[in-house]
Order: sequence, then structure tokens, then C-alpha cells
Amino acid sequence: MGSGDHAPEGIPASGAWPIHLEDVIVRYPNGVVGLRGVSLSIAAGEMVSVVGLSGSGKSTMIRTINGLVPATSGTVRVGPYTVNELGGRRLRQVRGGIGMIFQGFNLADRASIYHNVLVGRFSHTPTWKTLLGVASHTDREIVMRALDSVGMLEKVWGRAGALSGGQKQRVAIARALSQEPEVMLADEPVASLDPPTAHSVMSDLKRVNTERGLTVLVNLHLMDLARQYTTRMIGLRAGEVVYDGPASSATDADFEAIYGRPIQSRDTLGQ
Amino acid sequence: MTTATLSLSATRAAAPVKPRRLGVRAAKLTVGLVVLAAVLHLDIGWSDLAELPADLRHYLDLMFAHPDWSRLPAAFYQTWVSVSMAWVGAVLGVVASTILGIPAAQGVAPLWVRLPLRGLFAVLRAVPEVIIAIILLTVTGLTPFTGALALAVGGIGTHGKWTYETIEAVPAGTAEAVRAAGGNVLEVARWGLWPAAAPELMSLALYRFEINVRTSAILGLIGVGGVGDMLTGYTQYRQWDSVGVLIIVVIAVTMTIDAISGAIRRRIMRGARARDLDRTV
Repeated sequence: MGSGDHAPEGIPASGAWPIHLEDVIVRYPNGVVGLRGVSLSIAAGEMVSVVGLSGSGKSTMIRTINGLVPATSGTVRVGPYTVNELGGRRLRQVRGGIGMIFQGFNLADRASIYHNVLVGRFSHTPTWKTLLGVASHTDREIVMRALDSVGMLEKVWGRAGALSGGQKQRVAIARALSQEPEVMLADEPVASLDPPTAHSVMSDLKRVNTERGLTVLVNLHLMDLARQYTTRMIGLRAGEVVYDGPASSATDADFEAIYGRPIQSRDTLGQ
Repeated sequence: MTTATLSLSATRAAAPVKPRRLGVRAAKLTVGLVVLAAVLHLDIGWSDLAELPADLRHYLDLMFAHPDWSRLPAAFYQTWVSVSMAWVGAVLGVVASTILGIPAAQGVAPLWVRLPLRGLFAVLRAVPEVIIAIILLTVTGLTPFTGALALAVGGIGTHGKWTYETIEAVPAGTAEAVRAAGGNVLEVARWGLWPAAAPELMSLALYRFEINVRTSAILGLIGVGGVGDMLTGYTQYRQWDSVGVLIIVVIAVTMTIDAISGAIRRRIMRGARARDLDRTV
């Protein structure tokens, strides 16, 4: 379970995309407002944390970037694309360039690790091939290299359900990397992991940023992780940006403003 | 003691007003009246019931005292025809309802696809297989294939519903991940939903086969072949010793198939759970 010691040779960085949100409002069909006019710009290759309590809108924000949640109004631009204007095939194509990992890992537990990572190649593969689970030589090679870069190659033929939480998140990162993405999104990637595993998964994400040069946007609710692993921090509270600045120099008072309450011991991971 | 009394009375004062369940009472009354009306209207001949035990004994005697074992090979052959009908019907029905059932699940296809499919399942569930077979035999004739088709079409109603309910019970996370990677509807269904739903759906497909084995015997009654056909013939000619053999064979075969299929279903579901729990590898 070592981290940081696997050389991520292989998949070349395919360049990074900047992200621009302009006055983005998200109102869900049930009337709940997820975002109330968020505007921000993230440069290509930045490593940004989005911090806020649950319900602050950070999951909504990250999902507007790949169109999983449609923006009710405003503009979402990722690289050369205006995501909120796209649908169907074009949107799926843009999603192919945006990797995403989740709090609950979201692997198909009863499928093999190989087939789980192959999902990352879907946007580049004809549908009939993906339905049968067959891959071209190149795709197979990409999958293997992605697994190797997170240290999970030896498990490739095992079932995803048999892995530990940390291993599952590694496979999920490999799935996102096999997309050869320009942007990496992470929605509370370590909230279901124990502290040592959380740190090694955060290091993996950090390496994705530093060694592949991808734009990385990671949702966190823990202040020490945001300070340690990201360079810029965006604070969300009730669907609005209440902080935007360097992560390392963010003071406890800044966090109290984001959380809207005094700091508690559960706001840090420790170690 | 005084505090106890005090708190007691305080609780009573704070308790919310007991709701008046007028609707429930009205429903109970209506159901009661319907049952009463049905019993009065049917004009049940209670006196006939008294003769039932004697009659039953008489016919059981005719059927099972000296069964005509020479019918055994024919009985097995016709049962085999019925089971084949059930099997072909189950395979056709399950394949069709998997294809139709997955888009009928919430979150897979849009509403305008979902609603007509669910409507189709509801209509098919409302029509008994025998009626479907009577409609189909105008096209395909009195053949076991008609029976298999009727079982397939009838099966779509229930199995389609089971399919979309199973798919809807699958946690949404994996499907979201496939969508986030740029997967289309088919890819989301194949790699986001199917792996988690497959064991349950396999088990339900086998259960469908068990149901079909029983229903196929009934379908024989309208003449599409199989053991039901044979049973009708011998009953009409009052050859009770042959009827006895047929009933024994049908019950034995049905129970055997149920036992085997049930064991396989339990194994599938246990395997599915065991793999979820095994995190040691």
C-alpha cells in the first residue's frame, strides 16, 4: 500500500484545461438551490480544493463541471467547451476529457478490476466493443499502465468487490487516468478512508497534478488536508463562494467563516 | 410522589390528539360488505360440501388404486414437451423483458420511453397466459410453440416489472461513474447497473422458469400440446387410471424441477452476497 513510490511513467500528460464558472445557479427539480451564482476561474494545471460542510454545494459544483448536474443558468466553460450548452454525444465527448473519482469509489464490485478501469476508455471506443467488454491492444495497454501507476497492476484480474477501501479508490483513480483526461475531479475522495490511507490517496492525487500536469479540483471537508495537498482553496457556504485564496496560508478564522461555526476536532484528519 | 403525578399529567396534556382514521374505517366496512355480497350472490350449495369427502374418496380410488402404468412413457414424453415449452418460453421471455425492462427503470431512459414500457408490462400482467395463447393460436396454430410464445409474452409482464425494480434498487454510484467517464445509456446499463443486478435477475429468471413449468400444464388444456393436453383427453373419456399416472408424473416432475431450480437460486444469491463480504483478498 505504498504511495508516492510508484513512478507514474507511461500515460503522457495530454495537456490541461482551465475551468471557468460564470454566475452559475443550480436549482434542483425539487426546489432545493445547490449553487447561488458562483463565479470563479481555475487556471490549467492548478490544484484546487473546494472546502465546505455537507450541503454547502461543493458536490453540486463539481458535478456542473462535467455536466452530471446541469446548470440552471450561467456559463460553465472547461477547456475549449461550454459544458452547459452541450448534450448527448458532444457532452459525453467532453466528459471523456474529465476524470472523476468519488467518495464511495463507485466501482462495479462484481466486475473485474480490468473491466472497471476499461470504463475510462468508453468515450474513445465504439459502443458494441464496450458492451462486450473487448478492448483494442492500445486500450488494454493504457489500462495496464494506469493500474501500474497506482500500484494495483497485480490485482488486474481480481474482482473489485474483494478490495479494501484504499485499493478501491486507487482503482477508481486508474479508471479516471485511463481516460487520459485534461481535468481531474474528486468528490470527497478520502471521506470513507482511514487516515493513513487518506494521506496516500491524497498523495496520489497530488502526483496526478504535479507529474501529469492535470488541473485537479478536489472537494474536501477537512482543513488540514486542504492546506497540505492543495495550493488554492475555494470555500463554499450555502451555495456561495465565501473564500478564495491560497490554501497553505488559510487561517482558522477563514475556516470558521467557511463552516459558519467554530472549528471542531472533526474538521481535521490528524496525523 | 407528587413529582411523578405531576410529570404524568404533563405528558397527558402534551400528547397529540388521536387521529380519526375515518378513511381506514370506511375501507374496512366496504371490504366487509363486498365479501358479504359475494357470498350471498354466489348461492353456495353448502349441502354439496357434505358429499365432497365421499366423492373425493371415490375418485382418488379410481385414479390411484390401480394406476395404468403402461401410460408412463407417454406421460413422461408429454411432460417433457411441457417442460420444453416452459424452458423456451422462459428464455424468450427473459431475454425480451431484460431488453425492455432495463430502459423502463428510473434514471436509465427518459420518461417517454419508460411510461409506455411500464404500461405494456401492466397490460401483459393483466392478461392470463391462456388468453394470450388463444389469441396467438390463430396465427401459430395448436402447437407447443404457441404455448412457448404465450409463456414468453405473458412472462414479459411480470419479469419486465421485476427487471426494472431490480435495476432501480441498484445503488446509483457505479452508473454515475460510467456516465462521468463519458458512457452512453447502453454503456451505463451494461457496466454501471448490470453487474450489480445480474445475480438477482438470474435468480428471478429461474423462478420464471419454475412458474412456466406449472403454467405449461394448464396451457395444455386448450390443446397446444404437452401433458395438459393429455390430461384433458383422459379426463373427458373418464379414464381415471391413466389420469392418476399423469397427475403423479406432473407432481413429481414439477417438485423435482422446483427443488433443483430453488437450490441453484439459493446458490446464486449466496455467491453474490459472499463476494460482497469477502474483503480479505
